Amino acid sequence: MIPYQELGSFFTQLVATAQQRGIACAITGDMACVHYGVAATTKDCDVLCAVEQAEAFRDLIAETALRGLLPNYRGNLSPPLDARWLRGGWTSHFTWKTKPEETCLDVFGIAPRGSSPWEQQLAGIYARPNVVAEMKRTNRDKDWPFATALGGEMLGEGDVNGWLHLYDAEVLQTRMATSKPPAELVPLRPVLGLAPFTDTRTVKRLLLAERQFWSELDELRVHLYQHHLRPYVSAVRRANAGRRDLSVAEGHTIRVACALTHLPFQPLREFGLSRMVAEAKANVGMTMGTDVIKWLPAAERHFHGL
Amino acid sequence: MKTRKTEAAVRPVTALAAKRRWRRVMRDFHVRAFGEELARINFLPEKQRKAAVAEMIDYARSKGVKLGRPALGVTP
Repeated sequence: MIPYQELGSFFTQLVATAQQRGIACAITGDMACVHYGVAATTKDCDVLCAVEQAEAFRDLIAETALRGLLPNYRGNLSPPLDARWLRGGWTSHFTWKTKPEETCLDVFGIAPRGSSPWEQQLAGIYARPNVVAEMKRTNRDKDWPFATALGGEMLGEGDVNGWLHLYDAEVLQTRMATSKPPAELVPLRPVLGLAPFTDTRTVKRLLLAERQFWSELDELRVHLYQHHLRPYVSAVRRANAGRRDLSVAEGHTIRVACALTHLPFQPLREFGLSRMVAEAKANVGMTMGTDVIKWLPAAERHFHGL
Repeated sequence: MKTRKTEAAVRPVTALAAKRRWRRVMRDFHVRAFGEELARINFLPEKQRKAAVAEMIDYARSKGVKLGRPALGVTP
């Protein structure tokens, strides 16, 4: 078993090397959370890479060995690491076939739910907490305390945008003793208009509505991508002809050919970003009451880069 | 009577006190959200925190816990 400190060093060195080569690249996800003071126990690594530099990053990944092992694309599922698909929010997945378990890397070109360019929000080899927190607004219950913890970290460092990531009523209330949310943030997150958050029941209800909204939006996003992945996976499996040892370059050629047939470049845009937001809001309205809809965030701005 | 000097001395102390208060608030949140032990780890200095997380991950893996994400093709 490769000790996690070695794996962590491996990934940080990969990103540092990418940056030295002029590739805009940053660690996000759980490794970034640990860096910012929120422990997470995933051993995989999530990395953001500038869309236009997908090829250069792919070349770097392909030549980077871990304990003498070169990587492969992971399974049959991974879309190619190629600007055409990265631009549409597709994620590429790589693995080093270490034992007893593989070491995995996920590469994003677009930060899901990002509201601003992540390339301008770097702290060394890490994406800044704002980027990481936006990516934590998922359909997984376990991610939400991370968002609040990161928001709290941001406020502690004097970044008022931390208010956008607090999803705990008690934390919102007690923060009021120090400062109140700036007026310019309220249109982005209407719930902040409830300051000083003393109507606890309403605050809790609307925080739940917000969380459900982001969860619905993420479920819809995942569903749209997975809808196209099914035929793609079958095509890749046939093209691989059972080979599991294809190099990144070999795998890439096969995946591009399959992706050109089965993976639209911009599945979310084709569906309609406003339509996604409207559907997610309607779903929340159905379960929690239509009165909560006006308190939901201005999510249209959270598809930056798509 | 407050002079400029005493005002300047008070301002940083107040800001520091506010920072400490906020740290306590967030620490309480971490305990509620993640439990005592993870909250303790989260508030360690960076090097110690990363070492503690690595130890936790390796211990779990040594006991057969699978910490990787399933291959879904789409990352939430």
